[in-house]
Amino acid sequence: MRKILLLALLIGFIAYAGFNLSNSVTPYVGIAEATASEKNVQVKGLLNENFIPQQQGNEFIFSLRDEETGETMTVKFDGVKPDQFDDAYHIVAVGKYHSEDAAFHAKKLLIKCPSKYEGQQPQT
Amino acid sequence: MTGNLLLTGSLATALVAMLACWTKLFSERLIKFSAIASLGLIVVASLYLWILIFRNDFSVEYVANYSSTTLPTIFKISAFWAGQQGSFLLWLLIHAVAGAVLIKNRIQTKALGFYFFLQAMLAFLVLAKSPFAENPVTVAEGFGLNPLLQDFWMAIHPPIIFVGYALLAVPISLSLGALLESAKSKTWLESARKWTLLAWSFLGAGIFIGGYWAYKVLGWGGYWGWDPVENSSLVPWLISAVLLHLLNLAKKKSAVLPMAHIAAVFNYSLVIYGTFLTRSGVLGDFSVHSFAGSNIGIVIAFANAIVLLGGIFIIMLKAKDFPQGKMYENFSEQAFIVLLGALLLVFIAVIVWIGMSMPLLSQLVGESAAVDTDFYTRTTAPLAAVLVALVIFTFAKWSKSISLGGKIAHAGFVLGLAAVVISAQGETLTQELTKGDSVEIAGHKIIYQGQVLEEENLQKFYVYEVDGAEIKALTKLRTNGDDAAREPAILKTVGGDIYVAPHAPENLETQNLILNKDVFAMDGELGYTFKEAEIVRNDSGKPIRAVAKIDVTDGNQTETIEPAIIISADGGGRSQSIQIFDGRRRVRLTGVSRELDKARLEILPTLEELSNLPVTSTINTKPVIWLLWLSVTAICLGTALAIKNE
Repeated sequence: MRKILLLALLIGFIAYAGFNLSNSVTPYVGIAEATASEKNVQVKGLLNENFIPQQQGNEFIFSLRDEETGETMTVKFDGVKPDQFDDAYHIVAVGKYHSEDAAFHAKKLLIKCPSKYEGQQPQT
Repeated sequence: MTGNLLLTGSLATALVAMLACWTKLFSERLIKFSAIASLGLIVVASLYLWILIFRNDFSVEYVANYSSTTLPTIFKISAFWAGQQGSFLLWLLIHAVAGAVLIKNRIQTKALGFYFFLQAMLAFLVLAKSPFAENPVTVAEGFGLNPLLQDFWMAIHPPIIFVGYALLAVPISLSLGALLESAKSKTWLESARKWTLLAWSFLGAGIFIGGYWAYKVLGWGGYWGWDPVENSSLVPWLISAVLLHLLNLAKKKSAVLPMAHIAAVFNYSLVIYGTFLTRSGVLGDFSVHSFAGSNIGIVIAFANAIVLLGGIFIIMLKAKDFPQGKMYENFSEQAFIVLLGALLLVFIAVIVWIGMSMPLLSQLVGESAAVDTDFYTRTTAPLAAVLVALVIFTFAKWSKSISLGGKIAHAGFVLGLAAVVISAQGETLTQELTKGDSVEIAGHKIIYQGQVLEEENLQKFYVYEVDGAEIKALTKLRTNGDDAAREPAILKTVGGDIYVAPHAPENLETQNLILNKDVFAMDGELGYTFKEAEIVRNDSGKPIRAVAKIDVTDGNQTETIEPAIIISADGGGRSQSIQIFDGRRRVRLTGVSRELDKARLEILPTLEELSNLPVTSTINTKPVIWLLWLSVTAICLGTALAIKNE
């Protein structure tokens, strides 16, 4: 009886963990795919220099350019401009594309700097 | 060259020591001799690297990449382990020193053989990406250490972590050595447990110091961010905890012995796996601070396979001889509770492992993906809650069976988790503050007092007054006035911390000037004449820098500036601002035409203008966060005490 209970608990937990996992997986895509998808994704790109980044209230807006295809996409980051954004070489935006305002809503930005520690700074 | 010869020598002597341990080909005296020779060569190689750093020998790529002539002494010492190559050498050094202690302690010869095998493997890894590699370009000055890393914690955090990693080679060696002798052997358990306790407290101390450092610096996402680099040290720490408990239990319950062997093998494999994940560059786009990509990944993956498969092979070989019996009599026995706790720790480790490996695992089945950090907390929280219940239950029922050190460490674990939960319940507020503005949060009054520049304009402080006490948030500046590293202002109180994080001020509007060669242009106050531009190439012809020469005049005097764009290996560029006329103007080169006849100059606000800007500040309260620091200290000290008592 106890063994069955333990087994049931175990299976229950694995199901719970699997559910959590499938919910929190964010695939890594290009801009074309990101704008077509309604899921949470990670997009890597360069800062589109033709668009000056701006802070509007609690939202930081900039434009991301796909390194390979050259496509651009507006990114609205829920927060203030990340530290070291100006030093950024690559930017990884984590979030979801909203077709209503044709912008990618990022809840997290990973800033990749060409610094010595080859470091990126996450901003949440 | 010299350095690589020394390392090759240490690799060869470690292999001789290994063979001397495993075969009867050599005399036993040779073990000692070759082991000491290997250690000696590694020590000399390490000293040599420090000498290169202190001599500013930029013909060595590593020195040019992580040091500079102006770097203060303490950071020259820590520049040794600022990069991947040097940190591997540090690991090897600690491994070899611990090896000398093992010889002195006269541990079993076969186990020693495994230890020297691992030493040779580490030496090979250091050689595969050597810190002594020649610099392909000739430079007069090194890049210096990232200002973010010019910190006291950088001097101690990596060495402590690497002591932990290095010492975990001992339990796996003892385990495999004992297996070769007899699958029933228990003589190795005590010594393995002591070494694991030592490794565990060091690895824990390293992780906790890293967390505290990340808390005190902005941009690393607080004391724990579930970053792959953090996770890759957490997993071996969790499995080490499992190993600790199994080693203790196996003394009484022979049936636990096979699990102790498995845990020892997996533990060290996970150390190498973590290194692979974070040092090979496979996580380049997913991690906060993984090192840049390199071919060493395949070498480490291979080393990982050898350790894991080799270890499992030896265990399988002896599987039929393992002692039989029950691991526990019934569910209310202490052994069962300990095993259940160990199982939960394994679960947590597996969850973290899956999360951090997701970028790799997902590539196997299709598109690359990572997991949200929420995944870790949501999934591990229920397990951690059960663990806490188990610890409290054990305390209540078998208090006498736990040593004082064990009690302190377990109490630290429970209180630490409580502090994690409570400190996350604080309030948070983000607001733009101009000098003199005040805000209130959780009953505290915070007034923004403006900015102060110190240390010849290399340090900027945002000053806040919280309940009458002054606190400062430091921002380290580059020599050109750009932000380099930022720290929060923290007021520590009995109730917890008031944590104020200023954000980089919005840049004032900038003006772009397109300058034609030899044509005078004005920005309103100053006149610019673009004289010439040059693309600097490295020896292999790749452009590394674009430099423009521009004369600037205010009517009375003329200053010639040479702003530059630094082109990185993958084609991206960055340029730093430079000051003209002692800070009256700040400009930055943002482009040079292909024909070198046009340059684009960005006119930036001066440092003084910048410092008067309103600053958006995020203010957090972190209730009883001090309990977390206290608890993790208790975990490490309690563990150290347990070594002494046993």
